[in-house]
Amino acid sequence: MIPLTWYLALSSVLFTIGVVGVIIKRNAIAMFMCIELMLNAVNLTFVSFSSYFGDVTGQLFVFIVMTVAAAEAAVGLGIIIAIFRNRESLDVDDASVLKL
Amino acid sequence: MLMIPLFILFGAMAIGCAVAMVAQRNPLYSAISLIGVFVSLACLYLTLQAPFIAAVQVIVYAGAIMVLVVFVIMLLNVEEEVRRPVRLHYLIPVSVILAAVLVAEAAFMLKLGSGAGHVEPVTQPDSGVGLTASIGTGLFTTYLLPFEVTSVLILMALVGAITLARQTRTPLAAVPGNVDASPSELGPRGEVLLQPGETAETGRAFARFQIEHGEAAAPAETKGEGER
Repeated sequence: MIPLTWYLALSSVLFTIGVVGVIIKRNAIAMFMCIELMLNAVNLTFVSFSSYFGDVTGQLFVFIVMTVAAAEAAVGLGIIIAIFRNRESLDVDDASVLKL
Repeated sequence: MLMIPLFILFGAMAIGCAVAMVAQRNPLYSAISLIGVFVSLACLYLTLQAPFIAAVQVIVYAGAIMVLVVFVIMLLNVEEEVRRPVRLHYLIPVSVILAAVLVAEAAFMLKLGSGAGHVEPVTQPDSGVGLTASIGTGLFTTYLLPFEVTSVLILMALVGAITLARQTRTPLAAVPGNVDASPSELGPRGEVLLQPGETAETGRAFARFQIEHGEAAAPAETKGEGER
């Protein structure tokens, strides 16, 4: 069977790519997608630990993380639409002040 | 063994799609690359004997969330990101040095713990850990409370999304600088007929219009006509 460290290394690489994307991207939707990538990297560690230790708890946690990600997608995209309606732009540098 | 080439294939696919996602400047192309990451992660879950999570990954992530994202991208007609000049040039060598330190640290820790950190798989290949039955049993017995809390969370997200995305209409007369626009039409008794979406600001703008144009007595006249 594949060593556990391979999965963990892959997960850390994906998480790092997500962090880099959040830092260098300027588009709100692109940053949002990078956050989704980070959540998925964490999910991969959960599933691999769960599978290697024979404990189902990790996969239940992945289930709940997916639910939170879906809720986050709904609210986050609502916020993005509201910002776009006010500023006609998705660039986060244009939205650096909290007031409308 | 078949597992190792599969892991390398799907792992490389995931990393390649992730890098493409960050490198793309068109958000639609990044979304499609992200779908590639999700699908290859689902295949990796299959190599970990977690078929339920793999199916949910495809259905929820690639099916629901990414459809929502692509829908918003197309709804807002997002343009490509413009490349902007790099400010703070001195930060680039600093970041390279810090990243090298971090990688060295991680390698040192891996080397330090390589003796004890070797985890052997506990499960037998045919144990039912990742199957739907075991997940359902765990979800509805031990972890029933988190499950219910999650449903409340989804309800809150629903309400929040509707509140955020609802169009709040500002009346024309309430816009600053547009105060002297013609006021709302009067009803048969001279009262102001409120249109849907008008606020108290509209009423104030209407009153200001009447005071400034000497028409403050106008409702009284119409009232007199009504009595006649």
